[in-house]
Amino acid sequence: MSLLDSEAIARRTMHLFFMVDTSGSMRGAKIGAVNDAIRNVLPIIREISDSNADAEIKVAAMTFSNGSEWLYNDAKNAEDFEWIDQEAVGGTDLGEACRDIEKILHQKSGWMGSGSGSFAPVFILLSDGGPTDDFDSGVAVLWKNNWFKAGIKVAIAIGEDADTDVLAKFTGNIERVIRVHDVETLKKVIRVVAVTSSQVGSASASATAGGVDVKKEDEVTEALKEQLEEEKVEIGTDLNTESANDDEW
Amino acid sequence: MSELKIGTTVHLTNGQTAIVKKLLGEGGQGYVYGVDVAGQKMALKWYKKDPSSDSAAFYKNLSRNAMSGAPSPVFIWPKYVTNKEYDSFGYIMDLRPQGYYEFGQFLLGKQKFGSFLAMTTAAMDICEGFKALHAMGLSYQDLNDGNFFINPQTGRVKICDNDNAFPNGEKSGILGKARYMAPEVVMGKTLPNAYSDKFSLSVVLFMLFYMNHPFEGAKVLSAPCMTESHEKKFYGSEILFICDPTDKSNQPVRGIHNNVIKRWPFLPSILRKVFTEEFGKDKLQNPTRRFTEQQWLDTITIIRDSLIRCPHCKKETFVKCDSSDNKCMECGKPIQITNTLSINNRTLSLTIGNQLFLDRDDTPDLQIVQDSQDANKLYIRNLTPDTIVVDTTKGTTRQVESKGILPVKAGLTLHIKVRGSMYKCEIK
Repeated sequence: MSLLDSEAIARRTMHLFFMVDTSGSMRGAKIGAVNDAIRNVLPIIREISDSNADAEIKVAAMTFSNGSEWLYNDAKNAEDFEWIDQEAVGGTDLGEACRDIEKILHQKSGWMGSGSGSFAPVFILLSDGGPTDDFDSGVAVLWKNNWFKAGIKVAIAIGEDADTDVLAKFTGNIERVIRVHDVETLKKVIRVVAVTSSQVGSASASATAGGVDVKKEDEVTEALKEQLEEEKVEIGTDLNTESANDDEW
Repeated sequence: MSELKIGTTVHLTNGQTAIVKKLLGEGGQGYVYGVDVAGQKMALKWYKKDPSSDSAAFYKNLSRNAMSGAPSPVFIWPKYVTNKEYDSFGYIMDLRPQGYYEFGQFLLGKQKFGSFLAMTTAAMDICEGFKALHAMGLSYQDLNDGNFFINPQTGRVKICDNDNAFPNGEKSGILGKARYMAPEVVMGKTLPNAYSDKFSLSVVLFMLFYMNHPFEGAKVLSAPCMTESHEKKFYGSEILFICDPTDKSNQPVRGIHNNVIKRWPFLPSILRKVFTEEFGKDKLQNPTRRFTEQQWLDTITIIRDSLIRCPHCKKETFVKCDSSDNKCMECGKPIQITNTLSINNRTLSLTIGNQLFLDRDDTPDLQIVQDSQDANKLYIRNLTPDTIVVDTTKGTTRQVESKGILPVKAGLTLHIKVRGSMYKCEIK
């Protein structure tokens, strides 16, 4: 044991939560794209966590259709988290998903306890439709939770039928609801959202001329706007500009 | 997206071109590509989007920095700027040399210094770099553990991401991370400048020596979720040094902050003294009173002066020349220092195996060797390329050429030339 040895510096934990709609309407190309995209973005998340002296990233994922279910029974270190390909069948119990996620957003009784503390968590919600259960009371429970309030919340609205108003109630801001219309854009957006929110969320807060004033959520909103502008991905509007064809839905 | 394809030709403002060869890395701000510039392998940093809220001013500053050149060889500095094309722009710089790792890797326990000598060399390089930068009227501004690359064996440093070096007091947009910024900047009282840089320098030096953050202790840990408003408090309005002698509410926590708990007692006391002062309320609130880089360099010199090889176990240890109670920090055996070398107010020990550095580079100038017949007789070997003039105790002068030796005898005065400077040293 040399005096030159040292342990890794104490790092805070940043929790990254994926909430994936696996209702029947997601069957086929949509759920296929989600499976593919999340599987492909995990190595990048691992890389961000590995080379980050500010924070380590822990990942958790839940699916919701008839009821909701977690992939694992705890958040896992990014390098240990393996995505399990999901099938799509059933309804869209987003309300129950909200309640279930609220249950674990606690230090002692939930998954948020960490010896060296945490940064605010990141929530990425993917859905293609509207909730089929009592969403309003479910999301109200979430908004009473401090971890959720402080967190970075982004939603990806997949296709025409996704209810962006509902998703905006989750994110708290229509600008953080990103609508996509095709498989390739969906994959790209999942990557950009996951990477950007992880990079911002797992770093110390930024200072501007006014001091540490910029909220991380706003930093993410701005970054997403700039990065996704060129993709012609709509952010926060309900305009229907694409006409349906076989490649899109 | 402004990602460049392999084979793309990027045009530089000096008329040359750069051909994109491969993607080396990606950060929040941009991509780094390996490129070919007239047959030479270099690196291109290419911005993902506007790097600042005032893109024109940023581009102008970048061009100006490329024109004036690097403050010192420690910096991997923008060499050429590209034209604005493909919806973005970037700059060309030297490739990072092999064997250098991000400081963050040291913090993560993935790299470690091969010796305490390498640690002090790294500290010297970083201070010299800052000194040179400030002498040019620039300030660093977005300093963090991702900007420094260190060779773990030699301790040599390369400072990168220099597109954020701006004239003192100028900048807009994202200025840096709260964790590394001076409290007055975190609170929005001032823009980054040379004084806030000096604070950031002290934070980096603390992390280099102690592998812990100087302001994250029990009090900061008590906030389960680190939100922006907490950061404003803990790095700004309520900032408190973890080893503050009077207010113990932010002490390092056993089990979490083990590195500093282990190292604080055995690293030289002068380091404890300086950090306690630099991170005390007076200097936190009065930026103009902060240590200058020169003062840091003098301090690190004293620390290096006190680093010797234990005569028993041959491992590195720190000693105090004015103490009669030195023990090796590795093997615990007592170390007797019979003779020392005095240079102005510096004292270096003349113990067997010790290498002495007179100036601040990492080439030893003198070495203490042992008589092959009599272990108690020690000699100084001249490692400099020049001749040393010695004033003997008999009133005469003698010459000791390069690689030659002279006896360790109290009363001798040595006139040593190192890289153009004269050092007058007395053996005591």
